[in-house]
Amino acid sequence: MLTLSVRCQRVSCQLLASSSTSPLVQTRSYATQPKKGQIVKQASQGFKGKKNTSSGQMEHAKKDKKMMAFQPLPVSQLPHPLFESDRPDTLALQSFHPEMLTRVAESQALKFPHNENDPFRIFGLPRNILVEFRLLSKPCSVIRSVTIDAINKLDAASDKNSKESRVVLTGPQGCGKSYLLLQALQYCNARDWLVLYIPRATNLVNSTTAHTYDMRTRTYSQPIFAYQTLQRFLKVNALRLEQLRTQTEIEIERRPPVPPGTPLVELINIGLKDQGHAPTVLGAVLEEIGKQTIFPVLLAVDDFQALYCKSHYRDQHFSAIKSYHLSMPRLLLEYASGQKSFARGAVFGALSMGNTTFPLPLELREALSLEHDRPCGPYVKRQPELVEYAHGLERLAVPGSLSVPEAASVFEVWMKDRAVPSKPNDELFLTKYSEASGNARAFVWKGLLSSMSA
Amino acid sequence: MVHVLGVQLPDYQYARFALTAFYGIGHKTAHRLCARLQIHDKCKVRSLTPHQITELAAFLSSPSTSIPIPRFPLATSSYKPPPASTPLAVLKEEMKKLSQRAWADPLRNIKIESEARRVVKDNIAHQRMIGSYVGKRHAMGLPVRGQNTQNNARTAKKLNRVDRRG
Repeated sequence: MLTLSVRCQRVSCQLLASSSTSPLVQTRSYATQPKKGQIVKQASQGFKGKKNTSSGQMEHAKKDKKMMAFQPLPVSQLPHPLFESDRPDTLALQSFHPEMLTRVAESQALKFPHNENDPFRIFGLPRNILVEFRLLSKPCSVIRSVTIDAINKLDAASDKNSKESRVVLTGPQGCGKSYLLLQALQYCNARDWLVLYIPRATNLVNSTTAHTYDMRTRTYSQPIFAYQTLQRFLKVNALRLEQLRTQTEIEIERRPPVPPGTPLVELINIGLKDQGHAPTVLGAVLEEIGKQTIFPVLLAVDDFQALYCKSHYRDQHFSAIKSYHLSMPRLLLEYASGQKSFARGAVFGALSMGNTTFPLPLELREALSLEHDRPCGPYVKRQPELVEYAHGLERLAVPGSLSVPEAASVFEVWMKDRAVPSKPNDELFLTKYSEASGNARAFVWKGLLSSMSA
Repeated sequence: MVHVLGVQLPDYQYARFALTAFYGIGHKTAHRLCARLQIHDKCKVRSLTPHQITELAAFLSSPSTSIPIPRFPLATSSYKPPPASTPLAVLKEEMKKLSQRAWADPLRNIKIESEARRVVKDNIAHQRMIGSYVGKRHAMGLPVRGQNTQNNARTAKKLNRVDRRG
């Protein structure tokens, strides 16, 4: 009980504390001392329900609304004795190291490394995982048998063309596809691969980023997203990109061509100086790293099915724009379909089965030989372009339920982090595991964190 | 704050919602307008470029005389774009050949602000002129559409008149 209330307080008082200048001042609005001359009224309401609040409190309310939820509060801003733990930090996990990832390490929880150019920090994370990492004291994950399978695939792909290693992680909702993709990403980053991660591919097609028609490519380019992708790619892979140079002349609009032998970092900086050049530069950079054989390349995309759905964008005549007519999804689809490839590397995608706005389309379902959720005989229309873009994708099925040792490791992580409100014992573990049928998300969120038992 | 044709559009609002501030533009028309001007759904008014604002003002000042936009050609899956150094004139020529003629654009028939109010006034004036029941009720300042008058009818008594504000 205490641990949950402590955690909730940690989560709730971030709303104001992060804006305070002095860490020791209590800044929650109901607890602040009124300024000199300021009369603090009780919450009085007029006949029509009009609130009489001072301007200072209104500002606080506005600031509250602008803050986002689940920002972890630094320990230095929690001086109250309520936040002091009576037990030492018991979540001692080994670091996620590529050499450790063998069958022996199965069902073991490992913490992800944390450094300045960490791909999670720079590229971002899917929403569910972001929330979990903010609740946990340190980002970690459990190594499963399917993790070792994925890593073996990556090891095999490191010497082959990416056309032969285009893998899509499938499985029911909440089984751990996004986590597996994160583990693959960290593994490749530690193994000195060039990594490009798109954590939320839905943001490419849900009309949240600018789009303009480009006459040359006959598609709608997304310059701001391309610019941000270039920026993040450069930050995470800076040391590796410094060793690479262009192999051919690269032409960019309204600019003299970039000669061969130019460092790739310089080419990326051209795209960063002018957002209008970013889509062309991003395409050119991916082509160049596709030609080189020094570093293998991993292109990882979460919400992979969104690339095959109809986008929310509308063209000037109000017809829906297809995803392959947008520059960023088209680029990812070309690599996913094998039309473009990396000399060494792989393309990994993770489906998001719980997304109702961008559900799994028929063409992708058939390409991955997944079960149909509705009748679809030969008279149901399939878009030939999407069938072409989905051709040759390999499926890696993530098991729908955690094995008992894996679930036990997950339970231990949350237990040792003092996040389980109930008494953590074997009975609780087995009860919640059975109720969730081993499903990872249901086990953690609906089982452990949402229920309380004496 | 952006001022377009006398209407203030707050910076913090989504452009698609802010356009509904115009009399005569609702959510559907605003969505179509944003699509025409290539403004995405979550674009805020402060992110609009000066070019987009100028186009918006130019379109709204006279929608019926706006230039019809052709249907742009879109790349097939096997399309390989020409090199980036291709001159703009060459690209425009190719586009002209491939662009298809657009069919009727519903946005060209919209009426906003004073024109839309004039339409409402003219309709009421016509009803009065022909001596219809609707016209008489507007003149008396009573409900027009068969509502009860024993009680209520406050809005009609306040607002209904022959030169009713649209």
